[in-house]
Parts: sequence; structure tokens; C-alpha cells
Amino acid sequence: MFHALVAIKQVPDTTNIRIDPDTGNLVREGVPAIMNPYDAHALAAAVEWKHKLNGKVTVVSMGPPSFTSTIREAVELGADRGILISDRKFAGADTLATSYVLAEVIRAIHEEDPIDLIFFGKQAIDGDTAQVGPGVAVRLDFPVVTYAVNIRAVDLDDATLVVERRTERWTEVVETALPALLTCEKDIAEIPFAPLPDLIRSLRYEPEMWTMDGPIDFETDKIGVRGSPTIVYQMGTPPLPEPGEKINAREVGVDEALAFLFKKAEEAGALTTMVGGAA
Amino acid sequence: MKSDRALTHDKTEFDAVVVGAGLAGAAAAMVMAREGLNVALVERGQKPGGKNYFGGAIYTHAIADLVPDFMDRRPPFERPVTEAGFWFLSEDGLTRMTVQGGKLSAEPADAYITLRANFDPWWAAQAQEAGAFLIPKTTVVDFIRAENGQVTGVVTDRPQGEIFAPVVIICEGVNNLLTQKLGLIDRDLEPAQMALAFKKVISLPMEQINARFGLQDDGHGLAASVLGDVSLGLPGMGFIYTNKTSVSIGLGVMLDVLATYRLRPYDILQRYLNHPAIAPLIKGGQLMEYGAHLIPEGGYRAMPKLYAGGALVAGDAASMVNALHWEGTNMAIVAGKLAGETAVEAHSRGDFSERVMSRYEDRLNEGFILRDLKQYRRFSKFLETHPQFMDVYPSFLNDSLGQFFSAYGKPKKELFRDMLGALTNRRGLLQATGDIVSMARSVMGW
Amino acid sequence: MTTRRFWVFIEQEEGQVHPVSWELLGVARRLASQVAEEAEAAGDEVVVEGVLLGQDVRGIAERAIGYGADRVYLMDDPVLASYRNCPYYLSIKAVAEKYAPEVFLIGATTLGRDLAGAIATALNTGLTADCTKLEMGEVKGADRKLLLATRPAFGGNIMATIVCRKHHPQMSSVRPRVFPAPAYDPEAEGEIVQEDVEITEEGARSCILEFIHAKEDTVDIEYSDVIVAGGRGLGGPEGFGIIKALADAMGGVVGASRPCVDAGWISYAHQVGQSGKTVRPKVYVAAGISGALQHKVGMQNSDFIIAINNDPNAPIFEVADVGIVGDLFEVIPAMIEEIKARKEARA
Repeated sequence: MFHALVAIKQVPDTTNIRIDPDTGNLVREGVPAIMNPYDAHALAAAVEWKHKLNGKVTVVSMGPPSFTSTIREAVELGADRGILISDRKFAGADTLATSYVLAEVIRAIHEEDPIDLIFFGKQAIDGDTAQVGPGVAVRLDFPVVTYAVNIRAVDLDDATLVVERRTERWTEVVETALPALLTCEKDIAEIPFAPLPDLIRSLRYEPEMWTMDGPIDFETDKIGVRGSPTIVYQMGTPPLPEPGEKINAREVGVDEALAFLFKKAEEAGALTTMVGGAA
Repeated sequence: MKSDRALTHDKTEFDAVVVGAGLAGAAAAMVMAREGLNVALVERGQKPGGKNYFGGAIYTHAIADLVPDFMDRRPPFERPVTEAGFWFLSEDGLTRMTVQGGKLSAEPADAYITLRANFDPWWAAQAQEAGAFLIPKTTVVDFIRAENGQVTGVVTDRPQGEIFAPVVIICEGVNNLLTQKLGLIDRDLEPAQMALAFKKVISLPMEQINARFGLQDDGHGLAASVLGDVSLGLPGMGFIYTNKTSVSIGLGVMLDVLATYRLRPYDILQRYLNHPAIAPLIKGGQLMEYGAHLIPEGGYRAMPKLYAGGALVAGDAASMVNALHWEGTNMAIVAGKLAGETAVEAHSRGDFSERVMSRYEDRLNEGFILRDLKQYRRFSKFLETHPQFMDVYPSFLNDSLGQFFSAYGKPKKELFRDMLGALTNRRGLLQATGDIVSMARSVMGW
Repeated sequence: MTTRRFWVFIEQEEGQVHPVSWELLGVARRLASQVAEEAEAAGDEVVVEGVLLGQDVRGIAERAIGYGADRVYLMDDPVLASYRNCPYYLSIKAVAEKYAPEVFLIGATTLGRDLAGAIATALNTGLTADCTKLEMGEVKGADRKLLLATRPAFGGNIMATIVCRKHHPQMSSVRPRVFPAPAYDPEAEGEIVQEDVEITEEGARSCILEFIHAKEDTVDIEYSDVIVAGGRGLGGPEGFGIIKALADAMGGVVGASRPCVDAGWISYAHQVGQSGKTVRPKVYVAAGISGALQHKVGMQNSDFIIAINNDPNAPIFEVADVGIVGDLFEVIPAMIEEIKARKEARA
């Protein structure tokens, strides 16, 4: 039976950004938490193939207890089983420590119930690093295809996958061995409007909670802050944009205004780009 | 859990479906769930209250009736209404008639100012606590009917979206498409029977609100109905409610009037907020929200039939709003409760026919809802046909009182003559008396 | 004596080098110079080296030397002809373990992002993505300077500086055009070291069946240096005519605010803003755009912002470097003329 696993994350809805007009800072209160949009599309693709191949979808998420609402959303969108790995000791994890925990969880699930295909969203909209997917693939020794935009075929007998991968310059049609890991663009599948029985099921679903106490033994020096090679050394605010200068073409005339513009462009180092492109 | 029973068959089945998790819907669901019924509370919004909006204040008698210990459950109230009354605006003047203390010092208060986006989820949570199953993000679009027309469930907008239930309570709000679909009313909403109410929520520091409105602390609050110039002499009414750290200020105008005079709600609101007596109250505040909502004002004459085989209607969908007192929320809650009780009765009898459903109307008649609606049935029409109540009388009031309070050194006989003149210049004495009688009739329902 | 190696991944596809590779060689040279003093005191050697994979790409290695690499490790093999994650990361892992670089920079392109996370995990080290600033700096408790990698966080409202204290190499990815490319020196000297490639085709585990090239009309405005965007002030779809003319004159692409897309004047691919694309070109021209917050968040990090609007109070002027209050239908044609004149003068 086709078994797909989707890694999902809850993120603040950065498309609903409000900037405090006084401080210029992000207003974080009241910013709703959502399923990372790329993960949602990845999940939709997994569910599509679950239906096509009569299989099942497991979702996993690493985060604080508040992530349970996102796991329920995943069940609403068609996931059959949802696991939240949550423990205070995981906090402060950078991408290396995160990929370690996720890989261990996925490995444990895979040992019990072999996984054919792992789905990740291409990146999380809060971190934007796009590192965890490939990191997990390396740890599990699964081939990885990033920027997947369309799954053409899944052959469980041959254990092969054919998928389209979109880069800046072209789209590649890649064939890879299964099991494999994909990181997905939004184009890979549309998010469905869930059938009522799935919604009802999700409203009552209790995710499985895995912690440091079980069912997996994690190595303490590989998790959380201890397992993170990178740390935030300093935080600062970016330099405030200088208010720009305005000139009124209606008063001084278009030519004068343009002369001003080009002078300022030259001072800012933008003139080369405007009149001739980079060297 | 109760709702698991619904999942064991391929069909989604409940003992009752409530359409809309607003004030009426949650009340109905609460009552039925408490009696052990499996209730699906279906809400189209992301969460309850997402589509609801009002002035406004909640009257607690209806809440207390269903949840006697409601204050212990920390309802998201802003301030209690400790001062209430009327403000009369003329073009540049304001007369305030409010009452405080006495009956308004009760604890808990009889009314609390609140915000629907906070209150409705709390109210629905009480229903969930009683065992009702809330299904959000799902819109009911039609009914499942037996051959004889009896309602046996609902169809939602989701795939595999049918929910079977022997009784459906419709609490869909002012845009009563389902009520129309069921044939309980033979026409769509008419602009002449609708008001559009719109408001701004303006944030201000708590101390500033206290100082500007003369409130001791945030345990005191003002609810005022504003009449007169606020609606440019057209049928309408303004309001002000003080929240903890913001003010809800707005007005409602009849929809047909807006259309006839091609008025833009935002412009009318701005004019009101710029009034010399109003502007200082909200000066320096930050706009947090601007929103609008339709209010059914048709009253008794606009009500649909309230029941059919397997179905009941409660709240705004049934036009249960008292225009003068702007009482819609408590009517919704009480009607929801009575609908729920009727559904429970039907279940105990195993009979969901129209005959049993009509017991709902009996229950409504026993209480205040239908009686009050009948009594006030002429009121909204009254304002439209008696515009003097919106322009002449408020301006007369401000003028004459203004004279009274500035007439130092004037012989009093002259003053009173001038004050009378302020009226008779605007409206003959006979007509004024006639106006008062008409007003009394429309309010008392004679 | 130890050799402190500052590595740059030289990205190429089909024999074409991604310019970010040269930009990063410039960065690596600067970082190397920042540790020159402490290295000399310790008797260490500091080098800038490139890592290049592909088939028949020796010529690229030579060019890398011209852009500042002291040495290029070349892995040239049919199995590396087209980029695939497995053969590339395994090969790079092998050379990295052999030479133990101190710092490793990769361009944050699609290929780079596919590769970087895999390398970092395979080497069990830290990787900071999308850095906008890189310096070698003193860090409390460290006996030598470490890489201070700065990147925007929380929607750009905070700049976070990340360090990787104990693990090596300290890895960073950098988006194209954050740093300028260094000058090319055809006389520069350096060494090309050919490394063995142990991966076989079977070990690759994936193969590319086909390349599909994009059709003409798909637009990807995100990577353009110059974006000329039009808003409601254009008055209609025809207004985009002069927008395109200005974009063409500057070698850029056309952008649009949301109301234009909603009104059907131009396709969604051009939309800039909260519900469209976020862009950070070198030059952004906002013509007839009022500058509502939803648009601003999509372009406010552009290097040089020019706003043209009839309304002196339009919020776009708050974020513009230069604002011209006037009629865009007059200003833009004049601007095109001026640009053409200057281009000819330079030629």
C-alpha cells in the first residue's frame, strides 16, 4: 500500500503582515498561525496520490504543543495519521538539529511501516532556508528532488518516480528511485476543499505526541541548542531607510526633474544599472 | 464522545442541525445538547462571530437564563452599561439625556458592552461545553427533504456534505436565503425593511475614555442612542458604546433611504464623527476597524412563517429585531432557546411534523418576543413618515434648551415665549401634539 | 602551519557559469584578507579556492582563477555532466573531508539551495542561508576570527548575525547580486587540481529524462535587476505600453500593482506585493502606484526606488529614494529619451 509521509510546519501568516506605524516593526499579536503554504500544497499532492494508488498519508511535525491545530488541519486535508514531536529540549534547534530529529522520527516510522515517498514544502515562509528537506534526505540516504512541480508517475513495482523539477532556467523531468524525498512548489497540487467527513474527523482527531521520553531515543547532543552548530550571535535593526527626496516636475519642469533623478541615481550607484546593466 | 456516533455510518447523522453559530444558534444548540441530543452546529465562518457585527451591548437576562453562572465563566465583556440614554444632535448642538445609578448600578449589570468577534466564540464555546459539535468553515446551502416536503437534513457546500437530522433550526442571520428556500417567506430582503448599520471602532487609552465620557473607571461604561442630525434628518439612529480601550461609534440608516438619496455610508459616518460635539470625544484615537452589517427592521410585519415540518427559524433570519430599542441579540438568544426546547419536545414525542413544530410559536407568544414585535410593528415606518423626529425635534430641543441656559437677564416670560416660538417656528402646536400622539401609538402599539 | 581555506562553489550548468560564483569569489577574497594579519602572526597560510563539478569544464576553472581563486578543485566526470543532488553532494563531501575548508560559500540559486543543505548535513556543520552581509570577526571565546553571517529575519525588520562556533566548514549561502563581482584579471595565476570522482552512475539514483525549456511568455520578474511597475495611475491596460518601453530601455521587466492585475490589465505573473512577488531589484520604478502597504512590503528592499505619481501625498514617496511628482505620461517618455541618449554616449 502506498505510504506517503509529509513533514509540515506551523508558521505565522507573514502575508498578513501589519507594520506598527510608530515603530516600523512587525506587529506579532493577532497574526494568525497557519500551515506553511508550501507544506499544504505538498500535503495536497500526497493526498492526491493516496487516492490514486489507494494508500495512506502520515504527517509529522516538530514544534510546540500549539502545532496540534496544524496537524488537525492536515487530517482535514486528507492525512490519515498525525504525529507531533514536541519537547522543550528541541527548542532552539537550527536546521541541522531539526533535520536530525525529523530524520529519526521518519526512520522509526519507516522501519515499522515502509514509506514510499516523503513530501516537504520547498521552504518555510518564516525561515526561508529550504535546508531541512535535503538535510533529512541525506540522513535517510534517500534521493532528493527539490522544486518539484508535478509528479508524472509513481511505480511501486519498479520503485521509481518520475517528477518535474523547475529551476530558474528550465523544467527537468527527473526519474528517481523510490523511496525518495521531494520538496514541493505550490504548483504541485491544489489544496482541496475538504469533504465533510474529513473535516469532522479532523475536529476530533488527537495527534500522537512523541517526546524525549519516547517512543524514540534521541541523542541529547544532537538536539535543540546543543545540536545546533549555528547560533544567533547578535540581533540588530536594519538601518532605517532615509526618507527620499521629492521633486515636483509640475513646478520645475520634466527636464529639471529628470536631471535631479539621474544625479541621485549616480550618487546611489544605480545609474550604471539604469543605462547599461552590470559590467 | 457523542459525535462519534455520527461517524459510524457512511451517512453523517445527528439528532439536530443548527445552521449558524451566532447568538440564536449557539443557544439552540446548548439547550438541545443539555438534553442529551447529538447536535451539529454548522458555521460558515472560520469561527463563530466572524460574520457578526453590532453596536453594541448584550442584555444579560437572556444569557443568565441559559447560563446562570455566566460571570464565573469570564465572558469577554468590555464595560458594563452603567450609563444609558439618548443624545440629540442638531447641526451644531447636542442635548444629552442619560441615566446613571439606581437601576443601572446592578451587579452584574443588565447589559454589557462587547465585541462580537470576541463574544460569539465564547457563547458558542458554552454550547460546545454542553456537548454540541461545532463544524466551522462549512456553509449550509440547501435542505434534504422527504417526499412530502418534510425537512430531514441539510446539504452543505463540501463534497459528501449531507447531514441527516430530523430537525433543523435555521439561525442563518439577516441574509435569510435558506428561510426563503424553505418557502417560509415568499420574497427576498426588501431595502425598505433593512437598515444598514456601520461603525468605526476607535482605540483610545482607557484613562482618556474615562475622562472624556465621565466614567469613573473601566467598570463603568456608556451606551447612548444618538438621534437627529446624525442621520441627516433621515430615518436612522446613531450609537456610541465605550469599550475598555476603544469606542464603538456608528449609526444605522434605512437601506432604501440610502439608495434614494445616493448616500455613501462612509461619508455619513465621517460627518457624524466630525460633529463639533462628537469629534473631541474621539480625537487622537486610532482606527482599529470599520465595518457594516444589515439589520432587519421590518419587525412583525416582515416576519416569515417560523416553522415547517422538521424546521424552525430564529433570530435575525426571522426578523426578530425591535427597531426602537435595538433589541435583536436577546431576542435571538431567547428564540434560539425556545426553538431548542421545541426540538427536544419533538424528539421525546418522536414526531417532527409541522404540527409539533408549531409549538415553537406558542412558546414565543408566551414570552415577550412576539408581543413586543407586534407592539412596535409600526415603529420603523413611523420614522420614515415622521422625519420631524430626526430633524425638527432634536434641533428644537437643542435650541430651546440652549436658550433656557443662556437667557440670563431675560425676563422669564419672554424666555418661555421664545422657547415656544422655537417650536412653533418649526411646527405648529397642533401638529406637534399630533406627532406625540402618533409616536405614542407606534411605540405602544395602539 | 595550517592552511585556512576559503571555499566557493562554482556553479555551472551546460557550461554556463552562474555569475554569483564570481561574486562569491570576491567575497571570499575579502574574508581572506580580514584574517591575513592573525594568520601571519600564527604562521598560517590563507587561500581562496573554488570547487567546480561538471564535464569538460576545465575552461571554467581557468576563469575562476581570473576572478581571484588561488586554486580550483576540479571534478570532471560524465556522472557530473548535469546537476543531480546525489553525485554532487557526495563528491563535494569527499573533497571537503579531504581538505577541511574553514569557510564555504554557495550561491542561493535553485541549484545552490538544492545542494547546500545536503552538503551541510553530510558534513554535520552549520549553514546560514541568504546572507546579506559576511565578515570575519572577533567572537568572544574563540581563538581566531569566525564568519559573522548576517541575514534578515522577521520579514526584514531584524538583522540576525549568526555564527557557527565549533563546526566546520562555516557555510553560508548568498543570493545573486547581493555582492558585486570582482574585476577579472586575465594575468592572474593559480592552480587547478583534478580530484577523483568516486560516484558511479548507479550511485546517482536519479537521472534526468528530459529538459523542458520555458516558453517565451512566461515571466519571472523576481531575478531581474530592473523592474518598472505600473499602478492604477496608468488608467488602463494601454498604459503598460510606456511601462514596457521604459523597462526595455533599461533592460528590465514589467511589474504591476495588484489593482491592475485584478482589473485584468496585465497578468498575475507581473504582480508585485504581498499577494504577488517579493522583489529586490537594483532599480525599481513605481509609476502611478500609490504605495499601499501591501505593495510596499513586496518591493521596499529594492536598492534604488524611483516613484512617479501625480499625488504628492502618495505613500509611495515614503519608501522611494527619489520621488517625482508629475504626470507619468510626460515623465516616462522623457526618461526613456534620456536613457537612450546616455547609452549612446557611453558606447
